[in-house]
Amino acid sequence: MAEKAIMFDSSRCSACKGCQVACKTWNLLPSPIELNSQKWSGTLQNPPDLDENTRLVISFDEKPREKYGVDWAFGRRGCSHCTDAPCVQVCPSGCMHKDEETGFVIFDTDLCTGCQYCHMACPFDVPRYHNVGLSGYNITVNKCTACIDRVRNDRAPACVSTCQPGALMFGDRDEMLKIAHERVDLLKEKGFEAARVYGENEMGGLHTLRVLKYPIEQYGLPENPQTSPLLGAMGWMKPILGVGAVALVGGLGISFLTGLGYHRDEMRYDEVNHDIIDVDTGETIRHIDKEAGER
Amino acid sequence: MNLTRRGFFKATALAFAGSMAYELSAQSQAFAVDLHNGEWKLVNTEEYTNICCYCSGGCGSIVSVRDGEVINVEGDPDHPINEGCLCPKGAAMFQLRNIVDPATNEVVHNPERRTTPMVRRPGATEWEEISWEEAIEGVARRVKDTRDATLIEKENGITVNYTPAIGSLGGSQQNSEEEYLILKMMRSLGLVAIDNQARV
Amino acid sequence: MTGHYCDFKNADVILTSGSNNLENHPVSSKWVQRALDAGATWIVVDPRFTRTASQADIYCPIRPGTDIAFYGGMINYIIEKDLWQHEYVEHYTNATFIMDEGYSFDPETGFFSGWDESKKAYDKHTWHYQVESESEWDTSEGGSFAWVKDPGVPEFTPPKVQVARKDPTMQDPQCVWQLMKKHYSRYTIEKVCETCGMDEDTLIQVYEAYASTGAPEKAGTILYALGQTQHTYGTNNTRIMTLVQLLLGNVGVAGGGLNALRGEPNVQGATDMAMLVFDFPGYLRWPNVSESPNLRAWCESQTYYGGFYTNKPKFMVSALKEWFGEHATVENDYGYDWLPKIPKNGGDYTTMGTFHLMDAGTMKGYFAWGQNPVVSDPNSAFNRRAMANLEWLVVADWVETATASFWRAPDMKPEDIQTEVYFLPAALIYEKSGTIANSGRWLQWRYKAVEPVGEAKPDYEIADMLWTKIVELYKAEGGPSAESILNVKWDYYVDGKIDPRPVAWAFNGYKVASSDMKSAKMDLLPAFAQLKADGSTACAIWIYGGYYNNSDAPLDPAAQPVGRREHDDPGELGLYPKWAFSWPANRRIIYNRASADANGKPWNPKRVLVEWNGTEWATRNDVPDFVFQTANADGTNTPVAPNDNAFFMKPEQHANFISYGLADAALPEHYEPFESPTKNTFNALQNSPLMKFADHPSAKKGDFGEFPIVATTYSITEHWQTGAQTRMCPALNEIAPRQFIEMSMELAEEKGIKNGDEVIVWNNRGEVRLNALVTARFRPLTVNGETIHQVGMIHHWDWTNMFSTGEVVNDLTPNVGDPNSFIPEFKAFLVDVKKA
Repeated sequence: MAEKAIMFDSSRCSACKGCQVACKTWNLLPSPIELNSQKWSGTLQNPPDLDENTRLVISFDEKPREKYGVDWAFGRRGCSHCTDAPCVQVCPSGCMHKDEETGFVIFDTDLCTGCQYCHMACPFDVPRYHNVGLSGYNITVNKCTACIDRVRNDRAPACVSTCQPGALMFGDRDEMLKIAHERVDLLKEKGFEAARVYGENEMGGLHTLRVLKYPIEQYGLPENPQTSPLLGAMGWMKPILGVGAVALVGGLGISFLTGLGYHRDEMRYDEVNHDIIDVDTGETIRHIDKEAGER
Repeated sequence: MNLTRRGFFKATALAFAGSMAYELSAQSQAFAVDLHNGEWKLVNTEEYTNICCYCSGGCGSIVSVRDGEVINVEGDPDHPINEGCLCPKGAAMFQLRNIVDPATNEVVHNPERRTTPMVRRPGATEWEEISWEEAIEGVARRVKDTRDATLIEKENGITVNYTPAIGSLGGSQQNSEEEYLILKMMRSLGLVAIDNQARV
Repeated sequence: MTGHYCDFKNADVILTSGSNNLENHPVSSKWVQRALDAGATWIVVDPRFTRTASQADIYCPIRPGTDIAFYGGMINYIIEKDLWQHEYVEHYTNATFIMDEGYSFDPETGFFSGWDESKKAYDKHTWHYQVESESEWDTSEGGSFAWVKDPGVPEFTPPKVQVARKDPTMQDPQCVWQLMKKHYSRYTIEKVCETCGMDEDTLIQVYEAYASTGAPEKAGTILYALGQTQHTYGTNNTRIMTLVQLLLGNVGVAGGGLNALRGEPNVQGATDMAMLVFDFPGYLRWPNVSESPNLRAWCESQTYYGGFYTNKPKFMVSALKEWFGEHATVENDYGYDWLPKIPKNGGDYTTMGTFHLMDAGTMKGYFAWGQNPVVSDPNSAFNRRAMANLEWLVVADWVETATASFWRAPDMKPEDIQTEVYFLPAALIYEKSGTIANSGRWLQWRYKAVEPVGEAKPDYEIADMLWTKIVELYKAEGGPSAESILNVKWDYYVDGKIDPRPVAWAFNGYKVASSDMKSAKMDLLPAFAQLKADGSTACAIWIYGGYYNNSDAPLDPAAQPVGRREHDDPGELGLYPKWAFSWPANRRIIYNRASADANGKPWNPKRVLVEWNGTEWATRNDVPDFVFQTANADGTNTPVAPNDNAFFMKPEQHANFISYGLADAALPEHYEPFESPTKNTFNALQNSPLMKFADHPSAKKGDFGEFPIVATTYSITEHWQTGAQTRMCPALNEIAPRQFIEMSMELAEEKGIKNGDEVIVWNNRGEVRLNALVTARFRPLTVNGETIHQVGMIHHWDWTNMFSTGEVVNDLTPNVGDPNSFIPEFKAFLVDVKKA
């Protein structure tokens, strides 16, 4: 099998979120069922961010146009499947690993130690964890696997299979890159000057390629994602497991992210304090009381 | 006829359906679908084609069944209209029947669904569960009494045979055969007030 | 739809108006994207900037309820700039026909000719053509209509064949063309913009782009939905789009047509099947006291003098034969008298009217089959109160809908409500088999995959149990006109169990003498052309003829046309003639004669549906929708050379610009919604003179002074209708957890509302609390010089459901409607809002 990629063409995306639902149903990921447990988020972006049972979120961002309407950017939040995947590099247990055939980053839940290094190392703020806040017991990672089970059985990932407008494509990475560049050329012809391919070279090349129709800021993607310079320092921490180490690395991780000036989504979930935070204002939109079982 | 993979199972679908006698008891609703045991999720499933139950696009879907239970619903890649794709509502059709319980991560029958006939008696504050026999007898009696008391057989010398006192609404969620049977029953009872979602 | 979903890819210009097709018919995105890939232009006209608009090349805002002004202006623009398709209009439409001398429209009064103030209705005799000549059907032996004299055919006097006076030069001031031209000359760019609220540059850009499809080889398609129909003049909204499409030569061509994106999975089937007050299956008229008190009167009033509907008696007699079986004979008018006749006030029995009847105590019993009217119908709170007068209610559904539990709505007191309510648990779509019709008229088969959960049963089984019990009661006890019930044929069983397949045989049609339902030995008819008016054939719905016609395997849907799964695509137009079956006659694009010029040469050689090669219609990528050959006695066929009869479902076989078909207008004319923020400047009438139910006290008209905000309602892609079916899916609640009201930043600022705030929305009919979504996608519009604010609300919530609850937005919408379709005006009404 050649190196594969998922290609997301934001200019074809109708933001129907069929991909989010297909991801949930194929992977049997639960959604909240307590009555009205989800509050109004003030946006069509729901859930506001990735979480332990949500591997994929379509992001919404609108910039008013002069006369009518908005430049409405629909983005894709989820694992970028980096070639130089820091999550794999920091994983102490071999849980997080590369699928050699396709290049996708997958994980083995049974090996997860719950250290959460992978999230701290991720320049895209992706991996999330089950059981965080519940005394740290049995924490396990969750994130997009590119539906590796489907890929190995000759099917496209569930999100791609379900995409009506063809905004998601799946195939050999070379082919996907070619199509992405063709789409960008067409968008530029149509006057979308900021149109670009994202993921060709970032982090050694992503296996989730994106065609951006509007400026990159509208997609909450880091302009120049970097493997953390602290990664080397983190290497020695690998064998150290425990609350103290996690807290230390957590602090480093956050400074590492802010250091890059990486602007995340408009709304962000803070795992440490269990807050949903408005990135622009820094305001806490909602506090989640994990102890009360709130999700 | 092209015998594609899906072309094959459809020919056998009805024979298979007739031989099924699977029933989940209300007490043991959870059934294991484990993605992490290394086994292909759709191993040993029978596939049945269906058509989506939301907008009128007529998108094709495939319902995968193992041991009499739905394991997966996704778009039918051979279908020329949707080519395997489904919108969020279509992609959630699995959940009409089965959902994942976040507390246990087990698949259970959708608890919002009602699967027992019920009656709410005049003035009552709650439903009571009843048998199909009771439900059908109760409704048939109501229908007959109302029809017999209100049927207008002739009006201005014209045989009209209608009752203004009973209405029947709905049909766009049924299959066409069901629509016809409902229509035939209602019109034969003398109903004028027959409408469906086309009117909203 | 005149076309079908895959056909959108063939369009040069796509106009979405009154639809949010990417969100509410997401599969359309696939086919619209393909058109765009091939270079098409996409225009979206919508009061708000939707996810659909975000993908379009041109977005144009519009005030809700002003579509006739918008399209009237487009017609004026097309005619003034001479952008119409001349050959098409001259040959295939009634533009050349000369109207009655008395026909007129007077903007000074707002009325068309024939208004009768005392009857509050139009006398439409002036809405017809001047007649040049009349003749009789040839019913002699060997004549085209010899069947009329066959034994067994009910007696009726055939209609007189009328030939209208015409002026091929279209100069006669009373010809349709001149009258239409004059009618829309009032719809100037300036006036349209003042009424609709967009700016002139954008409007001209839209007109120019869409009118470009008037070039003969170009195709433009209009995608519409409830944004067009849910108005007190909704039927005229759809008519005016037809007028535009005819002017531009876009009907009957690949990539063209008028495409209603219907909102329910089998609403097409329910309409085909006539689950509607006035209709009989297959778009025939249900017997009514005025036109058709007996079978003879039915045949005489319904049968057209020309075109395909000369065959209506065949369809009706075959349907009666299916209904009553051996009890239907020519002597008893095939049982016609046993059927109920729609009384004069039939409109009062349409959905909105049934709630008035409950309110008045007339209606005592009610069934809701998978429909949820206390949430989906307008003025829902009134409906709930009216339902409390019911003696009994039966709801068959998957979940306890708001209708099933209306008696415990937050505003109801269960103790006071004497209604007995039955809930019957229904099977899911994949727990049963049967036929479903999509918007493109494709009939497809659903295969049962699993047994229903618990005691749930398919609706066909529920209907059978109930019918069997009712028949049992009438056999035992008798009752008024019991024969209407006891003579009904109800034999849809396989191995003694109710089954959809025998119903499918009845749909397809069969020869009575050589078929036996009981033993499943059926002589199914190849197509509806074989139907007879003499009682020898039975067919429940003629348009389904041919969809299930394989007599060798009547129990196997996969061996029937409906079950076909082949991908052949002649002409590469996405017609897929061997995938399932498209009614009528497996025709994928109706009126396809109009895809070729007067000589039978396709307007566009790359989009050939049918083509005359000089001696015959040799290329038939689609099934011709016209008489392309005639059968000879010796079994051979004679080709029929091209003629102008491109619309053979019309008696004159030409498409209509002016028509007598609707109650309220011969040509669509702008009127304001029931509740409007401004004055109608196009004519002297503010509202359509025939607006339905406006006088009922429950409608409680709101005044602009008191309620200064225009409101509209709609769906989002994540949920569906009343939400009963989507709020039961946790994954859908997760991606759209709460209901909201969208409003502009300007209005929000004026009202002191911030994004996310809870707001109260109210008018005379009700009050709801929703969360605000403040966005630049909504903008205030300038209408007749004034700034008009608009808000939009999604309507998928109510008090029921264990996962997600909300309020009933339709408590606010007015229960008034269109006089033709009786559809409510959900899309334009007045409210006020404040921060909660």
